[in-house]
Amino acid sequence: MAAQANTAGTKKGFLQWARSRRGQQLIIIIAFMIIPLALLFTFTYLPFGEMVGFSFYKMKYVGKRTFVGWKNYASVFSRKDCFGALKLSLYYMGGSVVQLVLALYLATVLSFKVKGGNIFKGFMFFPYLINGIAIGFIFKFFYTRGFVFDTVLQWCGFQLDNLPYWLKDQSINNISLVGTSVWRYFGQNMVLFIGAIMSVDSELYEAAMLDGANRLEQFRYIILPSIKTIVTLNVILSITGSLSAFEPPYVITSGANGTGTYFVVMNEIAHTQQKVGLASAMAVVLLLIIFAATILQKLFFKYVFKNAEDEDFGAAKKREKQLARYAARKAGR
Amino acid sequence: MKLRKVLALTLAAAMTLSLAACGGSDEGAAEAPATDDTAAEAEAPAADDAADDGAEAEAPAAAASGLTYASVNLGEDYKDLTTTIKFIHHKTDREEDGTIPDLIAKFNEMYPGITVETEGITDYAEDSLLRLSAGDWGDVMFIPAIDAVELPTYFVPYGTVDEMSEYINFADQWKDAAGNCYGIGYMGNAQGVLYNKKVFADAGVTTLPKTPDEFMAALQAIKDKTDAIPLYTNYAAGWTMGGAWDGYLGAITNGDETWLNQKFIHEAEPFKDHGDGTGPYALYKILYDATAQGLIEDDYTTTDWEGCKPMINNGEIGTMVLGSWAVAQMKAAGDNPDDIGYMPFPITVNGQQYATAGPDYCYGINANASEDNKAAAMVFVKWMVEESGWCDLEGGYPISKTAPTSFVFDGVNVVNNVTSLPGEEDIMNELNSESELSFNQGGDAKVQRLVEAAATGAETYDDIMADWTTAWNAAQEECGVEVLY
Repeated sequence: MAAQANTAGTKKGFLQWARSRRGQQLIIIIAFMIIPLALLFTFTYLPFGEMVGFSFYKMKYVGKRTFVGWKNYASVFSRKDCFGALKLSLYYMGGSVVQLVLALYLATVLSFKVKGGNIFKGFMFFPYLINGIAIGFIFKFFYTRGFVFDTVLQWCGFQLDNLPYWLKDQSINNISLVGTSVWRYFGQNMVLFIGAIMSVDSELYEAAMLDGANRLEQFRYIILPSIKTIVTLNVILSITGSLSAFEPPYVITSGANGTGTYFVVMNEIAHTQQKVGLASAMAVVLLLIIFAATILQKLFFKYVFKNAEDEDFGAAKKREKQLARYAARKAGR
Repeated sequence: MKLRKVLALTLAAAMTLSLAACGGSDEGAAEAPATDDTAAEAEAPAADDAADDGAEAEAPAAAASGLTYASVNLGEDYKDLTTTIKFIHHKTDREEDGTIPDLIAKFNEMYPGITVETEGITDYAEDSLLRLSAGDWGDVMFIPAIDAVELPTYFVPYGTVDEMSEYINFADQWKDAAGNCYGIGYMGNAQGVLYNKKVFADAGVTTLPKTPDEFMAALQAIKDKTDAIPLYTNYAAGWTMGGAWDGYLGAITNGDETWLNQKFIHEAEPFKDHGDGTGPYALYKILYDATAQGLIEDDYTTTDWEGCKPMINNGEIGTMVLGSWAVAQMKAAGDNPDDIGYMPFPITVNGQQYATAGPDYCYGINANASEDNKAAAMVFVKWMVEESGWCDLEGGYPISKTAPTSFVFDGVNVVNNVTSLPGEEDIMNELNSESELSFNQGGDAKVQRLVEAAATGAETYDDIMADWTTAWNAAQEECGVEVLY
């Protein structure tokens, strides 16, 4: 009897709780979250977990699998081509520095009143809208001996004999490829910067002007601190992007002639050589490297911009958190 | 403000359009699989051979109705036959450019009573299988990928393989256990080297090179005496590297039909220098040496596949190492189709040159057609093979042994690499994957490496061969493959 009363009591309690404001809140939260979470789990974390599992096997896409433990990871670190390919990322990182400086400079210029500013913005943003494969084909012709680029340079007075082979010469072909990537992405970075600069209160410029600050000082003391978050974000995205550079080398040179980046090597190993386990291990290792790079950068920026944060610590913290979430999402992709 | 927007939009539109034009260059890549297909087809007949060994002749079913390929005298028999037959095929391009209608018009000059309807099918490999199983497909078709045991159900035998071998090459492509021949190729594919006859003549190369040394001398002569590029590698396309050069492994390089699929996997030093210009060592050395001596295109990284076709046609290229499937494309690409020649691969084993070859799609005659239609179809197929000249038009390796051909492979032993021993079919795949050399399986990177190494001087040829051997041996050990040779 007593037990029955007890269960009836909890039942009643649960119903009551479910009807309560707190209970309703919780039920609604769960009901709304379950679908996106299920999707996220099925299409992101489950395949990723599978891939981590694959990395411990010697396997092809079809056929039997053999468990090999950490052997794949050992070969990622012992093979020359895997980590050798990461060195190419330095080219792309160098390129991303150029790209960000260029974008920041142009964004600053264009955010003030400039004649034909929108047309310039349009032109510079346009490459970002082109499909990466198409860009590959454009630049293959662009760099062909005696074609577009060489012709333009000849107009400028260069002799064809003195010009290098842009894609054949192994000392510069990576720079040529990085050039295509800079061309493609700096417009997008620029538009992000312009958006951030627009949000700066224009009264600040007036006040600064009255105080006798020139454009450079305005940039240094007003613009840069105000758009710090977006700069950090762009840097993080550029670095992770450099580590996972794929399209330019894959489309333009198919990774041959010393242009095979980590991703291209991984693709070759996974699809031509059918070493799925090894390729999965490479992917996991790259993910860890990107995590490490992101954390290091975060620490770096925290240190560099420490002064600006002091006044409003809470807001900064919130921003960092958002940033980390965004970066993690990007890296996880 | 409005004006500015319109201007920006117009610019954007113009740029997008110009991009679409650039996209056209994609086609070269689309043609790549064709090489693989022909290679696969060339290997197919050997598979049947292995299965059929030992199972010997019952009485050939062909004799039952009395209608065989041999019994038809073109231009004499069945002249008064009036019927309509239907021919389904995959050559949609030849249907559109009028080649097939022209052939049929010529056929009707000899046989006005036989009306031939044709249908080109774009997705032939799959559609033809469906049509075949559905039944009502017509009277003559190119035989799709079916099992040899099903041949008698669907197709009329032309005669025994032995009989047919007197008339055609590759009679054993489609044969049943009783030794009947069910398919006759419309053209053959062979492995050799494309060259421009005019360039060779200008360079003073009068006899075709037969050994790697002679070939290198010919390339050098082309460089010295003409403006043409001696050897065009198509490095940038990728599939033209591994896809082309690996195709010569086997009988062509060492005269041994069993080497590629049976001995290669068990060999301890497949890439060693035999010293007599034979073997895989000699094969890939041609590419390395040609690159090292500056006999290939200047900027090999930016070439495009479509561009090479008019170049060889116009005499700007001396040679290209590609299968004979490429001949028709090169001939069609310019005004000098007669300058395009095809020669055996320049490796001689004990005084003998070898080539591997196999048929493309084969004509098959519907076993369920009426007697009249079977007879008409037999006449049509025989005419197509012997009188039409279609095979030669496509630049293919000859099928008919009597029809005139421009395909000159004098004194060359045409053979087929035999397939793997039973139970060892998968070993090659495993070794390819483990060693990452991927012979005949898209291993373009390893051949590109030869060009890069030769151009930059980063590695010597012997270093690369030693490296390949190491990788091969490690793979053999890893996969537990016994080393026998």
